[in-house]
Amino acid sequence: MTFKLLTSAAALLAMLASPASAVEKRDGKYWMVVGSRQAVSHIDPGQSYDYSIRMMTLALYDGLVKYTGNPPEVEPWLATDWTTSDDGLVWTFNLAPEATFHNGDPVTAEAVVYSYKRVLELNEGASWMLSDILRPENIKALDEHTVEFTLDRAYAPFLSFLPWWFIVNPAQVEAHEVDGDYGKAWLAEHDAGSGPFTMERFDQGTAYWLARDDDYWKGFPYDSDDMGGVIYRIIQESSSQRAALMSGEADLVSDLTPEEFDVVAQRPDIEVTSSQTLATFGLKINTQGEKMHDINLRKAVAYAFDYDTLLQIYNGKATLQTSPFADAIKGKVDIDMPRQDMDKAREYLAKTPWPDGGITLEYVYVQGLEEQRQMGLSLLNSLKDLNIDLEMVPLTWANMVARASSPDTSPDLMAVFATPVSTDPDAVAIQYHPISHGKYYGSHFIEDDELTALIDQGRKLSDWDERAPIYAEIQQKIVDIQPEIFGMLRMRQFAHRDYVKGFVDTPIRMSAEIDFYPIYIQP
Amino acid sequence: MTRLILKRLGLMVVMLLGLAVVTFTIANIAPGDPARLAAGPDATQEMVDQIREARGFDEPLPLRFAMYIGQLARGDLGTSVYTGRAVARDIAQFLPATVELVFFAITIAIIVGIPLGVLAAVWQNRFPDHGIRLIAVSGAALPMFWLGLMLQWYLALQLGWFPLGGRLGVFDDVPPQFTGMITVDALLNGDPSTALTALWYMVLPAAALSLPALAAIIRVNRAEMLEVLGRDYVINAKAQGIGPFRIIAVYALKNAILPTLAMIGLRFGWMLGGTVLVEGVFDFPGIGLYAAKAAVSSDFEPIMAVTLILGAAFMFTNLLIDLAYAVLDPRVRNQV
Repeated sequence: MTFKLLTSAAALLAMLASPASAVEKRDGKYWMVVGSRQAVSHIDPGQSYDYSIRMMTLALYDGLVKYTGNPPEVEPWLATDWTTSDDGLVWTFNLAPEATFHNGDPVTAEAVVYSYKRVLELNEGASWMLSDILRPENIKALDEHTVEFTLDRAYAPFLSFLPWWFIVNPAQVEAHEVDGDYGKAWLAEHDAGSGPFTMERFDQGTAYWLARDDDYWKGFPYDSDDMGGVIYRIIQESSSQRAALMSGEADLVSDLTPEEFDVVAQRPDIEVTSSQTLATFGLKINTQGEKMHDINLRKAVAYAFDYDTLLQIYNGKATLQTSPFADAIKGKVDIDMPRQDMDKAREYLAKTPWPDGGITLEYVYVQGLEEQRQMGLSLLNSLKDLNIDLEMVPLTWANMVARASSPDTSPDLMAVFATPVSTDPDAVAIQYHPISHGKYYGSHFIEDDELTALIDQGRKLSDWDERAPIYAEIQQKIVDIQPEIFGMLRMRQFAHRDYVKGFVDTPIRMSAEIDFYPIYIQP
Repeated sequence: MTRLILKRLGLMVVMLLGLAVVTFTIANIAPGDPARLAAGPDATQEMVDQIREARGFDEPLPLRFAMYIGQLARGDLGTSVYTGRAVARDIAQFLPATVELVFFAITIAIIVGIPLGVLAAVWQNRFPDHGIRLIAVSGAALPMFWLGLMLQWYLALQLGWFPLGGRLGVFDDVPPQFTGMITVDALLNGDPSTALTALWYMVLPAAALSLPALAAIIRVNRAEMLEVLGRDYVINAKAQGIGPFRIIAVYALKNAILPTLAMIGLRFGWMLGGTVLVEGVFDFPGIGLYAAKAAVSSDFEPIMAVTLILGAAFMFTNLLIDLAYAVLDPRVRNQV
């Protein structure tokens, strides 16, 4: 006991003497510590998802296909190849015969059928992506390694959603079912997947340990066998993340401010990555609101908005939107977008019932997000020239979602980052369809029959050559009716120590989501 | 004495019921739709309604309240909409961390605050008094999170003397859980080195958390000591030639300590609820962080459970302080 006390005292002294620790091995392996803000509420691929849940499920499970690269492409994964019938209804996937779950069971067509049925029948999480075109009884295992999906109707974006449908091991899930819950309670903290990592420790709200599966059926894209795994550690404050990165307590962090990224980038042992995302930032306009239903007022505000300020707020780490679609969205075309032009703004205002202004608009943004507050101040300043007042209302995200649920409560302007879950243009276009009304990104409540018909038409066709012109028209139409002030595409940044290798970002990932598969440590 | 305890415990149950009514009402009339948030941004209306129905959010408010009270009576604190986990399980995980931190912080505040209060009174209006009063004023004025950030920046990052945050190093083994308090669990497990490490991780958050309490202890203790030192029996004791240390420690402090004790009790309850900022800065996974996350997500049942537990802790510490009063001061005991 005395010896132990002495050694711990010595350890404390050592801690005093050496502030920054370099990368260390634990049990002969490197464990990469990732500092991020958001806890992982569960790791069940069938229940709800946010970026941290998606990051975990991507590490623990495999889908038939996976998004990789920039621009993001759908790549074969558990499925080696697939065919589609001429009418676009029947999709047949061939599975990699060597794929196995973590417990050694083979990944079979039956497991795929079970996993898809599970999500559809739970009707949670990713279910919405396919629930109106795919019925559980229309998913069939043709043989051990072939699975067939028959859709209710042709649906072009089908494949683009499949990366978020992960395959679970039915044997493990069924063994842990309680009262027909499809293993929900157990899967919340345990994995039954075939992915590159297994769940080693789940310390809710503190740290989550993903052990690398050395026998992963697909292998790893690097040679080193030294990687033990990833520890996803919750570090709430950006300043703490920065400190952890600089002191070596974290190897990779995601949530620094633009200024902090610039500071850490100065260090020779830290690398900062920067890449575009699919998330667009804009001010959603309530087009059924008391004043903003007037298209001319919407145009006036759009021309008064100071777009350059947006770029300044992000230290130039952003580009202005040149379409309602992000650059990585298939079929994106450049549209002539409104830019600040006070003369034009006044012209449009003159056509409204308030030609001399004298009105007040409400701007709602996320409480505590300094960037969004600054955007509001910039808009407030621009609108003064039109004699329009801006009431800035900070709200928690929960309250913003509640406000967005009805045209009666939706604010005139709401600052929103909208992230589509697929690169198919339908994933963005659908945000301007009545089906999205009431969701946070549908707080514009835009109703335009022509636009709705175009969106409906685009998603039914399977031939891209037929779809492309429709989406070009949709983009122009959206800008014409101005349901939002189209802002910017922010560059997503990560900072990591220089011994972290293989990090790649893909625009399809949600805010601070990371694909751990290709990353390894090489001091 | 027994009568006092029983009476106070009965009163606590009534007060907790009142607290439940208030928190339930506030949580349920506040804006925010937990079902939609839990379902996710892209969920269909049908998916949202499914959650609403499964969680009983579509029932009338009075019925939901009755269900909630019934649930509490069975010892069930509900389920988090987000994690799907039982709130009792979350609280069992996060509360001990906060209690451990607060105990440590209040211990620092007492050990440092009481002697400083005494010294300030003894050397009234002289140099040490000015210095100590400066600490007291700073403690009351400096925001806790700012102080936390400064301590973290200088002592952890610049000097590297302390870890940046957390309860233990990411590679440290957590001792088997008996109480959930790592220092206690490690000692019970015969592992003083882990207990020491856990203590080391708590130094900065506890220092930040203790400063307001420390300042208050100094102020109250100084004022009480000044008053007591001016009383006849102290002057009389001095005249009898009793040594100054004995006068301060035995004659004065014993009488001056009671108001300080009451204040410490109140501070304890207040600190339990006030850890959210410090826990945020130091990523100390306690009840404050848990409640803050639940609050911004409109996750009602965890918020209500945390409020009730903190309320109960507050009332309970008050009861303990009153009992301590009764033990120390015969006049109070006789009133009972």
